[in-house]
Amino acid sequence: MAGRIVVVTSGKGGVGKTTTVANLGTTLAKKKYNVVLIDTDIGLRNLDVVMGLENRIVYNLVDIIEGNCRKEQAMIRDRKLSNLCMIPAAQTREKNSITEEQMKALCVELSSEFDYVIIDCPAGIEQGFKNAIAGADTAVVVTTPEVSAIRDADRVIGLLEAALVKKINLIINRLNARMVKKGDMMSTEDIIALLSVPLLGVVPESEDVVVSTNRGVPLVHDRSSKAGAAFRSMAARLNGESIPLDGDSQGLFGRMKRFIWN
Amino acid sequence: MLGILRRIWGDGASGQVARKRMQFVLMHDRIDITPDVMEAVKNDIIQVLSRYMEIEGGSVKVDLEQGKDFMALISNVQVKRVFRNSKNSD
Repeated sequence: MAGRIVVVTSGKGGVGKTTTVANLGTTLAKKKYNVVLIDTDIGLRNLDVVMGLENRIVYNLVDIIEGNCRKEQAMIRDRKLSNLCMIPAAQTREKNSITEEQMKALCVELSSEFDYVIIDCPAGIEQGFKNAIAGADTAVVVTTPEVSAIRDADRVIGLLEAALVKKINLIINRLNARMVKKGDMMSTEDIIALLSVPLLGVVPESEDVVVSTNRGVPLVHDRSSKAGAAFRSMAARLNGESIPLDGDSQGLFGRMKRFIWN
Repeated sequence: MLGILRRIWGDGASGQVARKRMQFVLMHDRIDITPDVMEAVKNDIIQVLSRYMEIEGGSVKVDLEQGKDFMALISNVQVKRVFRNSKNSD
């Protein structure tokens, strides 16, 4: 059975696409699925540093497509999980050095070998975006509770629908529960009502994210991090497991419930 | 402190301000209709109205207008004559 091809996108830059890719991928690999992550942000690659694999890069995505290497040569295996690997983007090339058809063909090929192909999409809605979504059957749209990110997410959702991507899910990143309570941040409900896309999960704003990217170790390895827990439940939901959304809640009750269930 | 004062003056919490602004902005972004679609809307309006009245086809105008916190579709149609019996019976 062919694996799923998931693109993580947002429109706006800096909302946490790469962090999301690293954490969803790592969680699914920990669940024993074979996972490959593809960084399609040609010229501005970052997934390698977030995953802590920057020192091992020899070949990249453009090398595979141009036939300079076999695709196995460009795949970098994770340091901890042998069933997780990553294809880095080219750093010194341009976004239009690959086409939508080439990308689609690669995704289909990889989906016959892997359970999950997760694509890190560049910011923007130009060629790089079109390449990234070309082969995807599922899209995960990442936004933060800010007006600029939400507006761009809405635009991207429109483009994904026009490109006939079947499943579109939303992740709200960096939600500050204290500010929502004060009324100074749009709530999860507000954002869902605006974008009308099914919610995959909410990631609380957390310093842990910076620490984990500093170290190059995805956050989901850290059992004590709330943001890490949020990413773990989102990966499980993406995998079709039914985990109630309020399980991520900040309250004492939510935490107790999580403590009991885990 | 500034926030408290603002709330007393009825400015509302900024989260709700953002929500209302986004409702409007997204509606505006989404309705960014191409001239082709606008033409199709116009033709459909003419077709429906023609069942009930004779209209001056060339005079029909359809525009989207932006109010302070709403958006309206405004159409001006010149009516020549209204039919006594609606042609809609078929």
